[in-house]
Amino acid sequence: MSARSRHIAAVFTRRWLAGAVRSGLGLTGAARRRAAFARQWRLAFAELGPAFIKLGQLISVRPDEFSREMVAEMAVMQDSVSPLPASVIRQVIAEEFGRTPEQLFASFDDEPIASASIAQVHGAVLAHEVRPVWGDVMSAGTQVVVKVVRPGAAAAVLGDMAEARRLLDGVRRLGMLKDVDLHALLDEFEDSVKRELDLRIEAHVADRFSFDFREDPKIEVPRVVWRATTARVLTMERMYGWRLTDLDDAAKEGIDGRALAIYGATAFMRQVMIHGRYHADLHPANLFVTPKDTIAYLDFGIVGHLTKTEREDIAQVLAGMVYRDAARALRYSERLGVHVPPEKVPVVTRELDELLDSMLGPEGPRDFRHFGLGFLSLLRRHGIEIPTGYGLLVKSLATVEGCARSLYPDIDIMDVARPFVTQLIGESMGRPELLQERIERAFRAAMRELVA
Amino acid sequence: MSDDVMRFFAAWMLTHEVADEELKAAVQRGSQQPRGGMMEGGPDAFVDGLAAMVAQQKEALKSELAAGTAAVPSADEQRVALEELRFEVAEMRGRIDEVHGTLETILAKLESAGPAKG
Repeated sequence: MSARSRHIAAVFTRRWLAGAVRSGLGLTGAARRRAAFARQWRLAFAELGPAFIKLGQLISVRPDEFSREMVAEMAVMQDSVSPLPASVIRQVIAEEFGRTPEQLFASFDDEPIASASIAQVHGAVLAHEVRPVWGDVMSAGTQVVVKVVRPGAAAAVLGDMAEARRLLDGVRRLGMLKDVDLHALLDEFEDSVKRELDLRIEAHVADRFSFDFREDPKIEVPRVVWRATTARVLTMERMYGWRLTDLDDAAKEGIDGRALAIYGATAFMRQVMIHGRYHADLHPANLFVTPKDTIAYLDFGIVGHLTKTEREDIAQVLAGMVYRDAARALRYSERLGVHVPPEKVPVVTRELDELLDSMLGPEGPRDFRHFGLGFLSLLRRHGIEIPTGYGLLVKSLATVEGCARSLYPDIDIMDVARPFVTQLIGESMGRPELLQERIERAFRAAMRELVA
Repeated sequence: MSDDVMRFFAAWMLTHEVADEELKAAVQRGSQQPRGGMMEGGPDAFVDGLAAMVAQQKEALKSELAAGTAAVPSADEQRVALEELRFEVAEMRGRIDEVHGTLETILAKLESAGPAKG
């Protein structure tokens, strides 16, 4: 066993014992016991560093796989770590560009703006005019941010991931987790971390988002400085504004939070339904409301992709929800990879119907989160496997709703979704292959009605 | 014209009239769906909503025809295709900028290493 393995094992043993003590040695209620252990897992993850912090973040977005208590604990874990000395960051920049920050920029701020497990962010000022891939030219003097991958982060994260595989397996044996597909989860984790370690991927995604929203004056995406960007350093326009946690200050400046909430939710629906690319890591820290009364997206580390067919199927699932049609939601979920065994279709349909009833009734919550997470929980209860992409989309929609509600508590996300869903399904009706498949049945149905 | 043909056209007109009234009713219901109200309507409400959207498209088409701009969609498609092309070219420029940066890095490193010894 390596020294690192021993350290990890020691931290988890200590935290497990603390959890046992805090839950009255298992004599408290099940919910309190789960909460006590979940808290200790979160503290252990924070103590063990980048790989575990990222893993905790991944757990926080998988309510379909982990207990409610575990998800809630991991959601409060901030990816914020002690900053590295500026000299270390300067060394990375020198290795990547063969020049000092002062040779690359007009000025460089040694005081970091943010420091997370994978990267640290510093402010700088452009020395020369830059023409971005999309958008206006950035003149000399423009404020930018320089995101630098922490030295050793890649090796540490990848090394710890191997340990995490063994560890989670042990956790599962202890019965701390529900029936989790560890292999798929860790593959997803590895893929996500590798993408974050190459900042050029994030830069490409930011450019694409700039283009997708090129005609939208209300959406802002930072422009990338490609000459000062490599796999380990990303330089992009600095955005200013209020985080969703500081909206009172924004309101004092006359920002219309309600209008922006509806706009932000609409923009997300456009990402999902029209562009097939969506920001899958939206949380209050990755979104600004700006003094120009616009929404600025930050951090494009996690992005979801959807094909045209998937978008149409998602529209059908949402139509099933919006129009209270459980059979439709289930039928199209099947096409998205949610395979319900034939013998379980009636009972799952009935339970989904009940979920929609409880949600859309007079006293119901009428929110997507309730439906999405309730649906995932229903599937899990019946032992039905949930594809990764499906879980990510449900989580993203629920998060967008949460963000929109922090601006406008009464927003009805389904009302926002309705025109997009209807439009997409309407467009899909004209597809020749669909007409070929359905027209005969439609004609027969019409004839049956006429001769009945 | 025989009675049979007359009856055929009468049946056709009747069918058309009934279908038209049904469609108009669906459009009206769809247009008047209150905020969140479609949720109580079930699957039929979806059809009404869709009918209302198609009716909006019809009105837009009528306006385009009246203004003589009905051919605009194809021009619009061309514009979108050209914009996509512009973006792809711009992305290539971004990559060239990145390569340019890499060359500057190599040059800077060579310069800092000093002249090669012969």
